[in-house]
Amino acid sequence: MKKASPMGGRYKYGFHKPERYVFKSKKGLDKDVVRQISEYKAEPVWMQERRLTAYTIFAKKPMPTWGADLATIDFDDIYYYIKPTQDKASRWEDLPIEIRDTYDKIGIPEAEKKFLAGVSAQYESEVVYKSIQDTLQKKGVIFLDMDSGLREHPDLVRQYFGTVIPAGDNKFAALNTCVWSGGSFVYIPKGVHVELPLQAYFRINAANMGQFERTLIIAEEGSYVHYVEGCTAPIYTTDSLHAAVVEIVVKKGARVRYTTIQNWSSNVYNLVTKRAKVEEEGTMEWVDGNLGSKVTMKYPSVYLMGRKARGEVLSIAYAGAKQHQDAGGKAIHYASETTSQIISKSISRSGGRTSYRGLVEVFPGAKRCKSKVVCDALILDVMSRSDTYPTMKINEHQTEIEHEATVSKIGDEQLFYLESRGVTKEMAQSMIVNGFIEPIVKELPLEYAVEMNRLIQLQMEGSVG
Amino acid sequence: MRLVISNLRASVEGKEILHGVSLTVRSGEVHAVMGPNGSGKSTLASVLLGHPAYQSKGKIVLDKTNVAVLPTEERAKAGLFLAFQSPVAIPGVTVMNLLRSAYELQNQKKGAPKVPTVQNPVLARRFQVGGMSIGEFTDRVKRHAKTLNLSEDLLMRSIHEGFSGGEKKKIEMLQALILPAKFAIFDEIDTGLDVDALKAVSKGIETLRKQGVGVLIITHYQRILRYVKPDVVHILLEGKIVDRGEGKLARKIEQHGYSRYVK
Repeated sequence: MKKASPMGGRYKYGFHKPERYVFKSKKGLDKDVVRQISEYKAEPVWMQERRLTAYTIFAKKPMPTWGADLATIDFDDIYYYIKPTQDKASRWEDLPIEIRDTYDKIGIPEAEKKFLAGVSAQYESEVVYKSIQDTLQKKGVIFLDMDSGLREHPDLVRQYFGTVIPAGDNKFAALNTCVWSGGSFVYIPKGVHVELPLQAYFRINAANMGQFERTLIIAEEGSYVHYVEGCTAPIYTTDSLHAAVVEIVVKKGARVRYTTIQNWSSNVYNLVTKRAKVEEEGTMEWVDGNLGSKVTMKYPSVYLMGRKARGEVLSIAYAGAKQHQDAGGKAIHYASETTSQIISKSISRSGGRTSYRGLVEVFPGAKRCKSKVVCDALILDVMSRSDTYPTMKINEHQTEIEHEATVSKIGDEQLFYLESRGVTKEMAQSMIVNGFIEPIVKELPLEYAVEMNRLIQLQMEGSVG
Repeated sequence: MRLVISNLRASVEGKEILHGVSLTVRSGEVHAVMGPNGSGKSTLASVLLGHPAYQSKGKIVLDKTNVAVLPTEERAKAGLFLAFQSPVAIPGVTVMNLLRSAYELQNQKKGAPKVPTVQNPVLARRFQVGGMSIGEFTDRVKRHAKTLNLSEDLLMRSIHEGFSGGEKKKIEMLQALILPAKFAIFDEIDTGLDVDALKAVSKGIETLRKQGVGVLIITHYQRILRYVKPDVVHILLEGKIVDRGEGKLARKIEQHGYSRYVK
């Protein structure tokens, strides 16, 4: 296996494990593959129909003509479904040794033992390991992989699946709807507060395979949950596609925070549709870190449907050599007195490219809305690039909109100051970069914040030019 | 131990600013370099630490090592400290973070194995900063901050971001007290300080002197020299040392200004 070395050969998580599968669909996509996936999973008829309808939409929809360059994606060269092991394990010890080994390398067991309320780790297309604390079950919280969710709670899934992001939303949402596998299904009953974050770790481990997980979170009235997903992926030389869909329903007065740290290897196309519908006085917070991948297109959205609903998008994007992070956020104000905030911080170096792409829209009749957009870009060398594509569609007079954008470089005086304290230039750069993203990193769970700082430090090594 | 600066020349964009400065500071001595605006005082401070904007020639020998050929961070590790006149803000890097990183780096012995970066925050707390536990180190920082009348909140804020002039100077002094410097250079530490702050900073300098640190105070006025008695005063004019003498030379400057050195 030839390894690319986009980070100077130091990419810490760039390992892979031998593949061990029990089922693999053929390469490429047609209606038979879609049927085969659905039948293999023994799904209800309505889901198979959804998949087939979505396939038709996917086949018809053209590729997006805006955003990042997606020309090299070959939809015929992808396995759309791979099932790695026979059964799901509910205990750590029951996992196959090479899977445990993989998780050991990224430090999951320790994290799991100490912090986690429940771990649902995705290996290949399937969730193979989960453990849910009794307390969650007692409160009536459902935290399952999506396949089990569909099996065990078909009515709930049917009620909400595709209501936030319909298959026709965009080409990749259509693709996900027709071949989805894995992801999480989370249901928080009325008034329940889940104190510890729910965490799902996952990683890709097969050349040429796509990941199409589907996540659905329903937070009933007055409930609270923080869902965390983090992923690291091994490096492969062939392109990989990750097209996930995350749908969130935030009911009246509920609050959902969804945190992602994405560190795909640098051959992955990461094209994710994330959206939350927020009802009256509800709050949705997206915290999104994009470090890896070849191309990311991701704009977590908040649809503010009810009065005084609130949405926040905090995102960090890092683009190194040959990476393009096209990220941002969308806030759509349908109701009065809704507020939104989008804060984006991006770093580009070694020829990397970051773009902020955002939309703030206020519909007629949505009065006294407030929105604040801040996008700060840090460009580390002359080869790198950063662009901003903000769009505002304001159809109501009484709206308060703030927009700030800054582009900066690391100042020589800052470097000299730190160096005069015995800090090397490399380390000074990583301190400055970590400082730049600190306002968002401090929103991350502690272990993620530590890992984030460490990843930035790894990326900065050898960056002195 | 001695810091020997000999025939130091420095230029920026082809224009020479220092025309061969020589002076020697011994451990535990306090020297003042005085001069009017534009005499090259700040250039001297910057060049001693190897500011990239200046081209320099000459030697800066610290305990037998010519640090003039070393990069900035190596000069710091060799024991040079510079308190900046107008230090820059570094958003997101807290005072405490910087102190900890710098202390750890400066205490690393040559060839000693590097302390691995600990990812697990629980384990990290047990780790040591240059031979001290993090708790002990933090206490020490807080103790020094107190003697400088610095509020503890400041330690957890981004360094120099939104700090007042006095806070900046005190934070620079705090670093001088914590980091294991052998020779500390204070660039205009006394400007913009009220009397209380001036006293606190002067006390800091006396502490350093007692610890055997050699101190170079670079100043326009002799205000601070009312509180700190320098062993030697050097007069810097147009990039050259034009006079040197004992502490009382500073008082003469106060009375007569620099006019008697101007041709």
